[in-house]
Amino acid sequence: MADFITDDKPVSIDDGRSHRWENLRRGVYRFRSNTMSMLGLSILVFIFAVAILAPYIAPYPKDATTGVNPVARFTEPGAEHPFGTDRIGRDIFSRVLIGTGLALKVGTTIIVLATSIGVTIGAVAAYFGGWVDELLMRFTDIFLTVPGLVLAIAVTAALGRGIDNAMIGIALVWWPGFARLTRSQVISIKEEPYVEAIRGLGAGNLRILFRHILPNAISPIIVKMTTDFGFAVLTAAALGFIGVGAQPPTPEWGAMINEGRDYFPDEWWIATFPGLAIWLMVFSWNLLGDGLRDVLDPRSRR
Amino acid sequence: MSIQVYLVRRLFLIIPILIGLSLITFTISRIVPGDPVGLAAGPQATPEIRERLAAELGMDKSLPEQYINYMAGLLRGDFGESLYTRRQVADDLRTFIPATLELTLAAIIFASAIGIPMGIISALYQNKLPDHSARILSLFFVSFPAFWLAMIFQTQFGVNWDLAPVSGRFPRLDIPPNQITGLLTVDSLLALDFASFGRALEHLWLPALVLSFGALASITRITRASMLEALNNDSVKTERAIGIPWRVIVLKYVLRNAFIATLTIISLEFGWLMAGAVLVESIFDWPGLGLYLVESSLRLDFQPIMGITMMYGIIFSLVNILTDVAYGIIDPRIRYG
Repeated sequence: MADFITDDKPVSIDDGRSHRWENLRRGVYRFRSNTMSMLGLSILVFIFAVAILAPYIAPYPKDATTGVNPVARFTEPGAEHPFGTDRIGRDIFSRVLIGTGLALKVGTTIIVLATSIGVTIGAVAAYFGGWVDELLMRFTDIFLTVPGLVLAIAVTAALGRGIDNAMIGIALVWWPGFARLTRSQVISIKEEPYVEAIRGLGAGNLRILFRHILPNAISPIIVKMTTDFGFAVLTAAALGFIGVGAQPPTPEWGAMINEGRDYFPDEWWIATFPGLAIWLMVFSWNLLGDGLRDVLDPRSRR
Repeated sequence: MSIQVYLVRRLFLIIPILIGLSLITFTISRIVPGDPVGLAAGPQATPEIRERLAAELGMDKSLPEQYINYMAGLLRGDFGESLYTRRQVADDLRTFIPATLELTLAAIIFASAIGIPMGIISALYQNKLPDHSARILSLFFVSFPAFWLAMIFQTQFGVNWDLAPVSGRFPRLDIPPNQITGLLTVDSLLALDFASFGRALEHLWLPALVLSFGALASITRITRASMLEALNNDSVKTERAIGIPWRVIVLKYVLRNAFIATLTIISLEFGWLMAGAVLVESIFDWPGLGLYLVESSLRLDFQPIMGITMMYGIIFSLVNILTDVAYGIIDPRIRYG
């Protein structure tokens, strides 16, 4: 944050930094008066708290990894096991709680990787234009011709099943959206007079692009990162569900639903609770993203 | 430029994209797995078996040579052979594509039938109760994991309430209608066979409904935004000043202007739903591309994986072209060029 106000260069060109600070304050106000986004934020705070505290509050932390308790198999939800137990007697509640941290880690990894690749490619393409733009965007288009999930399944299967490869596979198909978005932003900003002025002062291309253009292009990217976070978790869960993502006994929600699928609906709790956990995670990121869109990208909503 | 010339030009522009895509799928199948022949032959294979298999698959040649052979096959419509079932991938694709198209189209129809009215109502009651409810409702539904919802709906509607069959596209023992388009609902209607149409629809509606939830939120949002833009257009003020009734303005002018943006999102969502269909198909045993992809991925059967990925790319590109053509029909200002 401090970066916004303490400028390290005494150059008095208005590249929107003071405005940005003012806009931020107004945005925070608008965000706080929006019930839905505050609800989303509250659920997310709760989810992060659960993720951090899970190892301490989960009643049977061992069940997330190696625990087995055949005597208690297929116990219905009750006082002892709030979400019931699965076919080898593991406590679903503990597994869902400990899976929260994993889901957050998966979402973060995918989004950070996809954003880094996408923003770099999109920004470079837009800034340099010409054949660089043509080449990079045609490359991006290729990835956009196939639905992401399809390519993610293929890539992950080839890399080998598992949650780490699933994250890589998903990130590799997720960046084109960010590339397109960044490109359109940078193209509209790079023609502004302040960019010309900074160039006149002798700033290098990379400095102009990353320090002066991108910060002004960041709002819609942040909105996209937020809404995409939920869907990235959802996609990883989908891969876990069909069997190419996280493998048992990893307490990944999608893989847990897959394990519970054969026992549905008689032992309904095995698959139901991880599904609700995924829903809550995706829903809260969607609420937050929807609210942020109002704040940061007001044109999209009047 | 006439529409025919435009179409041909667009079709030609698919070619470089498909070449790029083939390079990616080829990389995925031949370079990423350290030992594709070993994978194909299985862990118990003796060196002789592996050598024979490598020769049979053409994998004893250099990578560029393998790629050229693969592309030469593609040009002849030969997608190779599954190592697991020993069937021609091209034949499998022909069988499975119509099933996926039918499911996705039905889901798009559902999503539009729910999403467009929701978006229109939201815009007409901007920032009032219907607007907020529609927004929350669409976010609520889009957040469900499709595969989980599919499982629950299948049990509830299919097993408990007996409102739909739990799997497949058509009763296993019945004779499906003669294949014309491959879409069972359309084919049965063309044959005027209403009994078959009923049975096909019975199988189709539930998976399509589950699949449609994924597209609901964005169709609603874009319809709302483009409606608002159209409503705030100066022409609306003029029309009101002239004294045209509000209902006529909305139905005749605003909707048409708003529909262009909605059309874009519908065609984009088509791609998303084809991806979502992968999961819905595997729950409902819907014999489409998605189920085929999941099965092939779990077996690491790379010829089908490559073929399926290419096929998705081809379908998606064609949908995009169709969308652009549709723009011109809806909006006469657009010139093909």
